[in-house]
Amino acid sequence: MQMIRLKTKLALFNLLSKLVFTALFLVFLPWIIERINLRQVDNDLIQKREKTIDLISATGIEPFINSDTTGAFGSFNILKEEYISLEKTDGSEEINEITVSDRIIEDEVITYRVLNYTFQADGETYLLEIGKSLETITRGRNNIYRIILGFLAFIILITLATDLQYTRLILKPLELITKKLREISSPAKFDMNPVKTNTSDFAALDKALIELMVKIEDSFRKEKDITVNISHELMTPISVMRSKLENILFQKETGEETAIKIEESLKTLQRLQSLVNSLLMIARIESRQYLLEETVEVADLLAEITDELRPVAEDKKVELKEEFNDKGSFTKANRPLLFSMFYNVINNAVKNTGQDGRITVGTALTAGVFSVKISDSGRGMTKKQLDNLFSRFSSRRENDEDGTGIGLAIAKSIADLHGIDVSVSSTPDKGTDFSFIFPKNS
Amino acid sequence: MNVLIVEDELSLATEIASFLKSENFLCDMAITGNEASEKIAVNLYDFILLDLGLPDYNGLDLIKEARKAGSEASFIIITARGAVEDKVKGLDLGADDYIAKPFALVELLSRINAVARRKFSIVSQDITLGEFTMQVQARKLVCNGDQVDLTKKEFDLLQYLVLNRGKVLTRQQLYEHIWGNILDDQYDSNFIDVHIKNLRRKLNLHTATPWLETVRGVGYRVSPD
Repeated sequence: MQMIRLKTKLALFNLLSKLVFTALFLVFLPWIIERINLRQVDNDLIQKREKTIDLISATGIEPFINSDTTGAFGSFNILKEEYISLEKTDGSEEINEITVSDRIIEDEVITYRVLNYTFQADGETYLLEIGKSLETITRGRNNIYRIILGFLAFIILITLATDLQYTRLILKPLELITKKLREISSPAKFDMNPVKTNTSDFAALDKALIELMVKIEDSFRKEKDITVNISHELMTPISVMRSKLENILFQKETGEETAIKIEESLKTLQRLQSLVNSLLMIARIESRQYLLEETVEVADLLAEITDELRPVAEDKKVELKEEFNDKGSFTKANRPLLFSMFYNVINNAVKNTGQDGRITVGTALTAGVFSVKISDSGRGMTKKQLDNLFSRFSSRRENDEDGTGIGLAIAKSIADLHGIDVSVSSTPDKGTDFSFIFPKNS
Repeated sequence: MNVLIVEDELSLATEIASFLKSENFLCDMAITGNEASEKIAVNLYDFILLDLGLPDYNGLDLIKEARKAGSEASFIIITARGAVEDKVKGLDLGADDYIAKPFALVELLSRINAVARRKFSIVSQDITLGEFTMQVQARKLVCNGDQVDLTKKEFDLLQYLVLNRGKVLTRQQLYEHIWGNILDDQYDSNFIDVHIKNLRRKLNLHTATPWLETVRGVGYRVSPD
């Protein structure tokens, strides 16, 4: 799954919500402005009507309409933005409305918003029309529209910038905490100084993490003490027995038959020693006693191992092929452990591949991910064997007298420690493929 | 040479002493830290084999004490802990080598000899093996003037057998010497057989090698003469 940082998520959400609101606003804006603008225009027309009526009641209708005229009065300004007309009407109905209609003034058709109003004067009914050209109205509306848009863009930019700055500021402690986590290779290395913050959630998180690290470190230390003690308690008796047996073997009076029996006992003791060491190794790996502080060129490491195993493979007439397509520089690693892991798997492949077989050890870099593949043309494994492959003691093969059957379990713990993903596929009598997918950025 | 064995497990100390005596060392034993401390103060030793797991004493303190008292003894640390820190600390304090339990007695001997060669700047003498000459210093094997082409591992294997001439070495002892015990979960007796087989084949191209013996059911040996 694609991972996104919290900071980015918040910023994206911020931007998105602003865009949605702006879009909604822009959809309704023309309508709102239209409404406001029309109301403004209508109020204006009504005010003009009041003024005209006031004027007529003060001076009478005479100055506008008298017997000389045709019974009508009209006036418009130069650009024909507004006009006013007054005429006698015989309609008995009262009109007081605002409409939109076309008027022809000096051979030009102009659309006006027109106020129609009838009133009585001197016993006659007059119709007053006051018009304002729609073009003027629209121009006014567009101006308002432009100003609002500019202001809106300005506000969005300002708030976006401050939002980003502010989220960065409040998320800083969280970033410090995750950085602390990312940088450590073992709990003991965790920075126990609390991160400075006044956000209680972050403080609680930090505190919980510190407490957790102290606990883990403590249990690791205990486990380490146990492994040290077990190691001492088991290795000392093994050492005593081994020295005694070896001394017997070196004595001149020891006969051939006795020597063979002594060597058999030494072999058994060796298996016990291997087993204890393997279990201790797993315990040490799982209690993080190995430091991951080296940078390893994986291809070089693999070449070292294949060189080591080549004489044995050649003796069995097994071809050991290298296909290194990438060097694979891996940081935060423990070289001896990685050596042990690959050695285990390649050695297993050699053991399980018969005469004229082939083992390929390859590396590749695909889409920034480094991987190692170890394929053999050996006898393969059944589904059941495959399922138990990494469990302790289960992978011991019948013809492997020296092994403890724990090698692959160790390999798996080493892979887990390094964050390496191991997968195995196998077909009986065809062969086995081991894939090691390394963590990214390695 | 005088050796002090500091080891709280008496039976192990006895075995080490009995082996080293057969190799013409003079051995003394201390089974507690206090005893060791007293002996170091009074006697002069060339070697001190020091078990770090002493119940009454931090083994590393003994090195400090000895150095303060002006002892020139070489320390070889024996530990069952296998913890890397101990090894590093021990070597920092001036220990000369480090060996983990359980170890092979011949390996201990070879470490002691290596430290002694370094300490007294002994130049290794060339060794004659039938018609072959092993030039130890130059790490070369020569047969009647021709150099025998050996891999590093094959040479190490032969040299180890030669240094322990007359002793039968088991496959495990040879394996541990060549590969160390880092990989002992991968110990495979077949490895040694393969390398000896290759070694014999290369040597036999020059001349027969009756001195390189396979001891049935036990291991390999370079005959005494």
